[in-house]
Amino acid sequence: MEFLIKIVYILIFPGLLFSTVFGLWLAGIDRKVVARMQKRVGPPVLQPTYDFFKLLGKETIVPSSAARHTFLIAPYVGLVSLVVTALFIPIGGLQAFGGMADMVVILYLITIPSLAIIFGGSASASPFAGVGVSRSMVTIMAYELPLILVLLSVGRAAGGGLVTFSMEQVTLYQQLFGSFLLDWRLIPAALAMLLVIPCEVGAHPFDVGEAETEICEGPLVEYSGAPLAVFKLSHAIKMFIMTALFAALFLGGISTGMVWLDVVIALVICTAVTLVCMTLLHAITARLKVEQVFKFFWTVVSGLALVSLLLVWFVD
Amino acid sequence: MTYEIFKHFPVLAIMCYFLGAFIVTLAGKRRVLRNVVAGAVMLISLSLLLSLVVPVMVNGEIITYWMGNWEPVEGYAIGIAIEVDALSLFFGLLVAIAVALAGFYSFRYITQDDANGPFFTLFLMLSGGVMGIVLSGDLFNIYVMLEVMTFAAVGLTAFRTWNPNAREAAFKYLVVGSIGSTCVLLGTALVYGQCHTLNLAQISAMLPGNMNPTMIFAFAMLFTGFGCKSFMFPFHPIAADAHGAAPSSVSVLISGVFTKTGVYGIIRVSYFLFRTMGLSSMQTMLVFIGCLSMFVCVTMALNQHDFKRLLAFHSISQIGYILTALGLCSAIGIAGGLYHAINHTLFKGLLFLTAGAVLYATGTTYLDKLGGLARKMPQTAALFLVGAFSISGIPPFNGFASKWMIYQATFEKAAETGSIGYALVTVVCVVTSVLTLASFIKVGQSVFFGQLRPEYENVKETPLSMRIPMWIMAALCFLTGLFPDLMIKYLLGPATAAVLNTARYIDAAMGAGYAEATAYFDSYLAEPVLTFAGTWDPVSWLVLFVIIMCAVTLVSLAGKSGRGAVTLTDDAKHATFFGGEEAQYSHVASGDLFWGFKHNLRGYLGFMSRAHSGVTNDYVVWGVCAMAVITAYCFIFM
Amino acid sequence: MFKKLIDNSAAKSPWLFHINAGSCNGCDIELVALLTPRYDVERLGFKLAGTPRHADIVVVTGPVTAQSKDRVLRTIAQVPDPKVIVTLGSCPRSCNVFRGSYSVVGPLDKYVPIDVSIAGCTPKPEAIIDGLALATQILKEKRGAK
Repeated sequence: MEFLIKIVYILIFPGLLFSTVFGLWLAGIDRKVVARMQKRVGPPVLQPTYDFFKLLGKETIVPSSAARHTFLIAPYVGLVSLVVTALFIPIGGLQAFGGMADMVVILYLITIPSLAIIFGGSASASPFAGVGVSRSMVTIMAYELPLILVLLSVGRAAGGGLVTFSMEQVTLYQQLFGSFLLDWRLIPAALAMLLVIPCEVGAHPFDVGEAETEICEGPLVEYSGAPLAVFKLSHAIKMFIMTALFAALFLGGISTGMVWLDVVIALVICTAVTLVCMTLLHAITARLKVEQVFKFFWTVVSGLALVSLLLVWFVD
Repeated sequence: MTYEIFKHFPVLAIMCYFLGAFIVTLAGKRRVLRNVVAGAVMLISLSLLLSLVVPVMVNGEIITYWMGNWEPVEGYAIGIAIEVDALSLFFGLLVAIAVALAGFYSFRYITQDDANGPFFTLFLMLSGGVMGIVLSGDLFNIYVMLEVMTFAAVGLTAFRTWNPNAREAAFKYLVVGSIGSTCVLLGTALVYGQCHTLNLAQISAMLPGNMNPTMIFAFAMLFTGFGCKSFMFPFHPIAADAHGAAPSSVSVLISGVFTKTGVYGIIRVSYFLFRTMGLSSMQTMLVFIGCLSMFVCVTMALNQHDFKRLLAFHSISQIGYILTALGLCSAIGIAGGLYHAINHTLFKGLLFLTAGAVLYATGTTYLDKLGGLARKMPQTAALFLVGAFSISGIPPFNGFASKWMIYQATFEKAAETGSIGYALVTVVCVVTSVLTLASFIKVGQSVFFGQLRPEYENVKETPLSMRIPMWIMAALCFLTGLFPDLMIKYLLGPATAAVLNTARYIDAAMGAGYAEATAYFDSYLAEPVLTFAGTWDPVSWLVLFVIIMCAVTLVSLAGKSGRGAVTLTDDAKHATFFGGEEAQYSHVASGDLFWGFKHNLRGYLGFMSRAHSGVTNDYVVWGVCAMAVITAYCFIFM
Repeated sequence: MFKKLIDNSAAKSPWLFHINAGSCNGCDIELVALLTPRYDVERLGFKLAGTPRHADIVVVTGPVTAQSKDRVLRTIAQVPDPKVIVTLGSCPRSCNVFRGSYSVVGPLDKYVPIDVSIAGCTPKPEAIIDGLALATQILKEKRGAK
């Protein structure tokens, strides 16, 4: 029985099936709302799903100068490691596999999909991909500093005098003492996190690495067919994971006593966070330049997160 | 059960290398004979040390061996001691493994060099010197071995005499390295003057209660000296030259093993001899030096255009991690630091060997002249990726496990002391880690991926005899990362306990009750407890990864009927997309990468590359300044 | 298992790659105008792709000049199957007013089979949408034919 429940966790909720469906749904909502904000009708919410299946049906072209194995394997490694990460993030207090990975591990785990894109693009031997690789890596460097500051602030706040990295502890603390979003000391960190999410996901205005108009979608330039579909799916699941991480870190204290209701609320929060930090930014901004992204994250966003860390450290 | 027979193993392990060094010379130009002798010596040493794991690591024995049976008389140790506790054995194992793998790799690797006669003599001298340092229980013996090691390493750095860079690197190494040696000698002499003994155990019993200005000076000297041997900031530039110019298998030793003797020396000096690590000022100093080494070297590495120089700077960056972790003086910090030490030996060894493979196959390690080798050398590329992921701390490889422990240690230290500075140390560690990742993406993109240069069309995969040591290292990288619990239980735990339990070390050498009699130690410390702020279970992660990978594979097999075909031919359709133009050679590599980052930090990066002028005099000045600053700091705060 | 889903999705997510083969820019502007709020072809799933590798429909404008011919053909070749080639405006079909010029080597159907032609100089947006909708049907048929 125990085993069956684990299998359900891994394959259905919040594992493979659910993260796929919910991720694609989030991506669809995102596109739809951006369109509505621009006074367009917009594509149906299922559009990313159609895109995904259509790409599965296309021919997969492996460029003759590419490093074939890396090129074809990278997307799958990225996808699978993302889905594994989804199992470690508590969703509405429900954590499929507790006690296996903490915040810092998650910080590292969510770079694996980005690495998959980088090495996949790198292996495709296109100069566009080369530029994209360089830009993607600069984006990773950009958001990693504020993200660790945010995590440390939360870890300190949840430690209650000590420190913790554990996601369970963060959730537990919030259930006892209220969500961190209501703690004024952590509001700058929450803002920083809201800006980190689109950068990590690669959404406007921080999608310098995959800019389609400038560098032909960078690392994805040579991808077609199923591997491209997998990358697009990873992108969608990343939206789910990052917003779920935000929900767990800052709104983990919502507890109604019923697990399913908590989960539903958490998913609503995920959607709301997507709308705020990805859709809104997408609709109102143009793409930044890569040096602007880096500067923005190492000054403004890191500054916000650092303020939180200082407040958490020195103000009780 | 008694361990009488094991008493002789450590000294045999050292002697094997030295005997081997001379016997190899007798083999002359007979290559097979030479390889057999060298291989046998390295394997014998390794197995001798492995056989000590059970008594020392598991059963907690400390093996003391008095050379010529000159045991201590009336509480004074006159003879030379070999004393192997868990810490010594930990470093000894690390040395023996790295030496064996690098040695087997060299058999084929150095055949390209015409004058390869003296190679194994120097190689085994270096190995013996290093082994002598980590197993010795005598301060002057450590100095002697340090010199043996340094001169062998200088000789090996200049091994490719046709290469002017190698000669220059060796010269720099000789000059700056002698600052370190001089410091160690001076410190040793002062300690001898104070304590009238050179035995480590006895000094550790006598010194800590009796600190006076002379001893503070001696501490500063020993600390700087061993720091120089570990190439900590600001001694790092010579490492870059030396590692870059030496043959790759030697770089493995210099980077993976030689620098570890410096770390080992710092542990012995500050945790055992002077027991200064309890002072918060000393912790601050070591952590500060560690952070500086870490950050400065990783940014320098990002700027490099040579594969091996880049790796060399990363060595020091990783040494920075180790020093930072050791400077925290908490059980988890020490365990994390030691864990990172062994991991660094493995992944850096692997990376240097892949660099050697690239050099062997193409004749260059210059990043701007390489590209697309993954198509010609797929195994080497895979091995490189394992090494790169390990050093950048990508789960589940070993670099992540140890870095994760170091993050915990620094952050817990911050909570414990209430100082936000240590939390910022955690931030520096994470940022360094991501910059490390960036520079290995640079290497990956420049050397193994991207477009294949036309002149490397006929490059071949490295021979099997060179690949086997690399695969072993890659497997070790994976396994040590996968089972941190076992590592802690059998290697790190005992070694950490040894670091924190000076009294046991003293009693083992000088007879039971000696430490207590000096009135400085009241009792044996309890076994160290590692407290983790978070959790990380690599095996479960791997199991989940495999299950989901299987599920994805099954789903994709089930959906095969509707899927598009995978095609790979050599026609216009499969040529690289160039916006419609005909495909041509265009490789984005090395200096072209990370523009946004470089642009924003241009002031800092420019200053750094100007400061690393390459002039020996400058580096000597840096070293002397470091010595002066450390001395002044010690006098002010101790 | 997913064959039906994939078949159904084939017509619902057509990604365009636009090639200018020496066009006067009129048709190009009209094509981009389709993405604006007034016509919004994104509601049908259309999207401009950044690279031919991602495209389903190749839209060619212009009379195919001597300079652009090789580039156009190479780019069209680089689109993965199944693909549909659409000519936009009169130029790629008949060379229009540029016919006979020393630098024009069109029309396009001398070199590749064309699936849909949208006539006009320039075609009305409604006509373009109609043509593209036809292209998606052909895309679906090609998918079924495979």
